[in-house]
Amino acid sequence: MQLNRRELMAGATAMALASQMGTARAAGAINYWHHFASQSEMEGLAKIISLFQAKYPGTKVTQEGIPNSEYMAKVSSAVVAGGKPDTGMVITERFADLVAMNGLVDLSARVKAWPGKSNFPDNRWKGLSQDGKIYAVPAFAFVDWMYYRADYFEQAGLSGPPKNFDEFVQAARKLTDPSKGRYAFSMRGGAGAFKYVIDVMEAFGSPIVKDGKPAIDRAAAIEAVTFYSDLFVKEKVVPPSAPNDSYRQIMEAFRTGQTAMVWHHTGSLSEISGALKQGTQFQTAPMPAGPKAQIARVAYAGNGVMKEDNIEDAWQWVSFWGEPEAAIALLEATGYFPASTAALQDPRLTSNKIYDAAVKTLDFGRLPNTFVGAAGWSENVVNPAFQSVLTGQSKPTDAVDRMIKGLDAAMR
Amino acid sequence: MDTGSHLPKTGMIGELSETRYWIYLLLLPSLVIILLVIAYPTIYGMAISFREMRLTRPGLNGWVGFKHYLVMIDDPVFWVALKNTVLWVTFAVVLELGLGFIAATALNRNVPGTGIFAVLILVPYFLPNVVAGHMWALLLDPRLGVINDILVRIGILNSYKAWFADPNTALAATIFVEAWHGFPFFALLLLAGLKGIPQDLYKAAAVDGAGPIAEFRLITVPMLKSVIAAAVILRVISLVNSPDLLLILTGGGPGDATQVLSLYAFQTAYKDFNFGYASALSVVMFVILMVFAYAYIRLSKIGRE
Repeated sequence: MQLNRRELMAGATAMALASQMGTARAAGAINYWHHFASQSEMEGLAKIISLFQAKYPGTKVTQEGIPNSEYMAKVSSAVVAGGKPDTGMVITERFADLVAMNGLVDLSARVKAWPGKSNFPDNRWKGLSQDGKIYAVPAFAFVDWMYYRADYFEQAGLSGPPKNFDEFVQAARKLTDPSKGRYAFSMRGGAGAFKYVIDVMEAFGSPIVKDGKPAIDRAAAIEAVTFYSDLFVKEKVVPPSAPNDSYRQIMEAFRTGQTAMVWHHTGSLSEISGALKQGTQFQTAPMPAGPKAQIARVAYAGNGVMKEDNIEDAWQWVSFWGEPEAAIALLEATGYFPASTAALQDPRLTSNKIYDAAVKTLDFGRLPNTFVGAAGWSENVVNPAFQSVLTGQSKPTDAVDRMIKGLDAAMR
Repeated sequence: MDTGSHLPKTGMIGELSETRYWIYLLLLPSLVIILLVIAYPTIYGMAISFREMRLTRPGLNGWVGFKHYLVMIDDPVFWVALKNTVLWVTFAVVLELGLGFIAATALNRNVPGTGIFAVLILVPYFLPNVVAGHMWALLLDPRLGVINDILVRIGILNSYKAWFADPNTALAATIFVEAWHGFPFFALLLLAGLKGIPQDLYKAAAVDGAGPIAEFRLITVPMLKSVIAAAVILRVISLVNSPDLLLILTGGGPGDATQVLSLYAFQTAYKDFNFGYASALSVVMFVILMVFAYAYIRLSKIGRE
């Protein structure tokens, strides 16, 4: 039999394709949903994937980024439609909802047999476990802290960052000068506002949920909402755009010098360091204490397996995130704090003074509230209720009553 | 010449093709697809509105009758969203229709360069809502926004304004963005309509002494009535059902100042995971749109022509 050139090439191509398909089938291929978005986060993810591929060449990971605000919408649609990914990112605030909608696979047995487990104290698993079952492997932590403009503080004659809410207000008054377009504090009043509203409520002594039941202390909550909203309404130490300011706007305000303080977590260190000089222009400090408690969240984010189809490969991937090399790669790219104690001992972290505030916060930081319905209540009730106070459409009492009613409905 | 009509028809299909049922058989595949793609989801969606369906609380799921509709009556956010929906749709459509008319009339002049302007005018409509939303969020940004800068420089504003943070301006600002984004839709359809009006009518009217206003009122508008009606109905449906621009610009805030029904339904479904109540909200939107379309067609007397 004689083959002409065209037939030979076609045959070779078909054989090559067939061999590729065979390889793809033999090797594991899993997908991973996450809500990383920034350049630094994507760099960190690419580095972790590359480290993973080097260690497990037989498993191919395909990552798919989903905007944070749409993440749960996409996951819930996937659960309903039966199109869940192999693995996905899990944060504490969303954990209860994800488990409740059957979005995560129980990993307890694998975690118990995993040698890396010893690097994670019990509190790391708390936000990713339910009823004694572990559903995700901790990867990194968002440690709340405060960024402040060291140069503005010096100009205003302030010796250091505020340690409590009283000092915070005093400093805020000194740092605000609307004629220069300068305000003391980047308040998050738009998307994501609920986080700090809830934190301030707890700092004034009002719990949110206790023993699985709604537990807002109305009087304390009103006091908290009044204090926090007054920064905008009465003290006017906050930019006028606050009721619509979300992450981008508060960071933009701080980076461009409009504001002198912003509350966020370790995850934004890389972004701020790119615009301002550590030490001379900005510094970090633990969150100021409220009258009843010092509230800062230490939220462990992890990765879970969402379906059993490729569980072996999926487990390799989610457990790899708990390895020190992956944690340090992410820290270097983004500033995200490792969840693993082994990674926390790394000199790249211990020798950098900017992390001192985060290390201190690990001692007193609390896990975020996690209960079924938390996301909906926070975003659909707390946000608009608080915004209404900022814009003068309602009073703190009305806002708190709306929050209490909404929480009852969410947990009913 | 043999046309093939003498060829023998074979089997049942051959016999069936000679009957009046053949047409229904030919329509069957389309009918099945329509039932699967349109009727089933619509009916299923309506059925959910009579059920408790909370993704995170599967134990509660079951029939609840009109519970969601009764809850809606006492839900203050629903009434705010309903009012905002009416305002948002009405002002956006009126603005878009007006701007679309102006653009279509200008483009109908056939002067040199019209083609380039036609493409430029259509650009906003080609932009996805998400892109348009983020672009305008930056243009109107209270810190870096170009629009604020221009308004301050020409003396209209004393300082930069946070358009989306003030409940008095937030809805108006979002309507402005929507009008910018949507007016090319009207321009395109009206331009097609204008091209179809015989020029003889204008010539005859000119001979009778009609001016531009009389020509517009007595020729252009009546001749475009069907186009306008169709465009308005399509646009109203689109605006009532699309929360994406508001989701990006304001998220329904500040407070509930820009909350509309579609956004409220979206947030209820995908933040609260309460698909039952979200479905009831969607059914209300569906009914409102059906009533609107019926009333509008009746009032504009399209069917009689």
